[in-house]
Amino acid sequence: MAKWGMVIDLEKCVGCQACTVACGMENNRLPGEMWQDVIFYSEGTYPSAQLKWFPRPCQHCEHPSCMAVCPTGATYKTEDGVVLIDWDKCIGCKYCMIACPYGVRFYTDEKPLVAPDMRKVHESHDEHSWNPPWKMPDAREDWKHGVGIQPHDVVSKCTFCYHRISKAPKGTPDLDPQDPKLREFTPACVVTCAPGARFFGDLSNPESVVSRLIGDKRGVRLLDELGNKPQVYYVTGDGGAVPSTRAFNKKS
Amino acid sequence: MNFTYPKTVSEAFSAAFKMFGENYRAANVWRLSVAALAATLAFVFYKLLTEGHATFNTGSDGITWGLLVVVYAFFVLTSTGLTFVASMAMVFGFKEFYPIAKRCIWVAVLTLLAGFAALALELGHPFRMLWAVPLGVQTHSPMFWMGVFYSAYLVFLLLKFQKVSGGDWTSGTSKALGIISFGTVVIAHGMLGGLFGAIAIRPMWFGPLIPVYFLLTAALSGAAFAIMITYLTYGGEQAMPDKVRSLMRGAMPKAFAAVLGIVLVATLSRTGIGLWSNIDGLQVWGHVVHTSWFWIEMALMFGAFAMLLMGGGALFPALMVIAALFIGRYEFVIGGQMVPLFKGTWVPGLIEYAPSMTEWMIVVMSFAIVFAGWAFGERTLNLGASPQD
Ligand code: SF4
Ligand code: SF4
Ligand code: SF4
Repeated sequence: MAKWGMVIDLEKCVGCQACTVACGMENNRLPGEMWQDVIFYSEGTYPSAQLKWFPRPCQHCEHPSCMAVCPTGATYKTEDGVVLIDWDKCIGCKYCMIACPYGVRFYTDEKPLVAPDMRKVHESHDEHSWNPPWKMPDAREDWKHGVGIQPHDVVSKCTFCYHRISKAPKGTPDLDPQDPKLREFTPACVVTCAPGARFFGDLSNPESVVSRLIGDKRGVRLLDELGNKPQVYYVTGDGGAVPSTRAFNKKS
Repeated sequence: MNFTYPKTVSEAFSAAFKMFGENYRAANVWRLSVAALAATLAFVFYKLLTEGHATFNTGSDGITWGLLVVVYAFFVLTSTGLTFVASMAMVFGFKEFYPIAKRCIWVAVLTLLAGFAALALELGHPFRMLWAVPLGVQTHSPMFWMGVFYSAYLVFLLLKFQKVSGGDWTSGTSKALGIISFGTVVIAHGMLGGLFGAIAIRPMWFGPLIPVYFLLTAALSGAAFAIMITYLTYGGEQAMPDKVRSLMRGAMPKAFAAVLGIVLVATLSRTGIGLWSNIDGLQVWGHVVHTSWFWIEMALMFGAFAMLLMGGGALFPALMVIAALFIGRYEFVIGGQMVPLFKGTWVPGLIEYAPSMTEWMIVVMSFAIVFAGWAFGERTLNLGASPQD
């Protein structure tokens, strides 16, 4: 069984947010509900201040604290290492949002993050929380795996594009978007990344590109001290750094 | 007031109905709180039906658990504390607490229901919870255990109340029910403490002693409510039966002051450590001590403590402590979320949050449940009964 993981090369990432847009389109996210986001922050002070950025999907932790706290089992981890939400079981208690250290989860029913409220513009007349004109085919929607447009009052997050990767041929070490045969199984954010900063593959296969990158370029994980053990790794090189603190502007 | 207490449920309802037209303290409170309950429920349901949960000011980019979780924690911990007060007589044998024990059990039921009501309105799917939590059996989730133990506590509390109402205070079963209720609520509140205390990434909440901190503040909250409700029942010390008066002048304010003193120390040490330590997330303490609410909370607690030491009546200190504890719960629940996680550039500083009108109305609703339930009980359930009668 594969153990899917992602590697993001911060030396290559240009902070263009194309991944964020691709994820929003692929997964029909409400504007502002960014399963994937690039966080911009500054480090240092004048004259040596630097603007930095940091792309952040769900980390699909090996020990997901969101799953540990969920009182219903709605949040679960698949055999191939992906953390998902069963929208038929979620009671909207939001404990998972409290417990996830990476702030990657979103609740459906709240004041719109961006105006106008798209749920009103494209109103739904069934159980879906809204009805955008550009949604994924109904056949792909899968509430048991948190894929598609969610119902009201549940929590959602990045699925590693489960509707794509779960169809990949068994034993594939890497879902390389350059390979036409694998492209449709590769997560949308990886496909779209222009500088090729995102890699997706099987962490349990030592021959996979992701495993090699982590080994060769000293992959690190966000807030590794917490014990969540993300399955998203960052390689830094000269160009980037993994923020060691939250994106909080401390006034010095 | 001396009432003839109804014997059947239908008599009880007709007595409650008649209360609307009567004129004594419980009837006045009844009218007012039923009206408040009806008005707030109408407002809240109108808002929920038209806007859904977006009528709350909570959000994924901000405060996830808002005022309703504050209200939930405030009331279920008050219920916990009221059970401690009732248990003074029924479990630990301090007989002087008997005259208020039955009333404390009743108000413990009411505060628990008030807390549950606020939580049900906050949850995305309260009805789904009823099957998804028990069937999920997620033994690693503190919230699962909190649900199990607070539900069991409600059942034991109602059974104990039924025994006591039948005049059975001391049989083996009645005693056992008292002990089981006490034990269950100690565990239940511990699970609520664990629910916050286990979250290592939110250092304002984190720590093995949070259940103990909740135990102390729950006891304080329960004692304050017991005093307030006793004064409300009799209208003043002169009107109290001798045994109640001597309790309200003797053991009760002493115990109350002792717990308040310990809570003051705990609060100050939490604040001091929070201000001094520099782990990410604790910056919020610097913000907390710059709000006027913090100083109002401190003034109320220190003021109440001083008044108790000087030996005045316990009513005003109790009211002051209730207000201070509400502020404290707010600081705790909201403060723990104010330092943003990896949320993006749109939250550069501390997260701002001010509860919406709907959220405030639910606070009023929860208090109205407690007061309406108290008035109903006062008229129909002989809450002043004690085994000596
Ligand atoms: S990043 Fe958060 S939501 Fe994703 S698996 Fe880890 S704890 Fe869960
Ligand atoms: S909001 Fe849903 S997924 Fe999250 S902890 Fe609650 S039930 Fe589980
Ligand atoms: S893997 Fe899919 S769901 Fe996750 S951030 Fe990328 S595009 Fe979005």
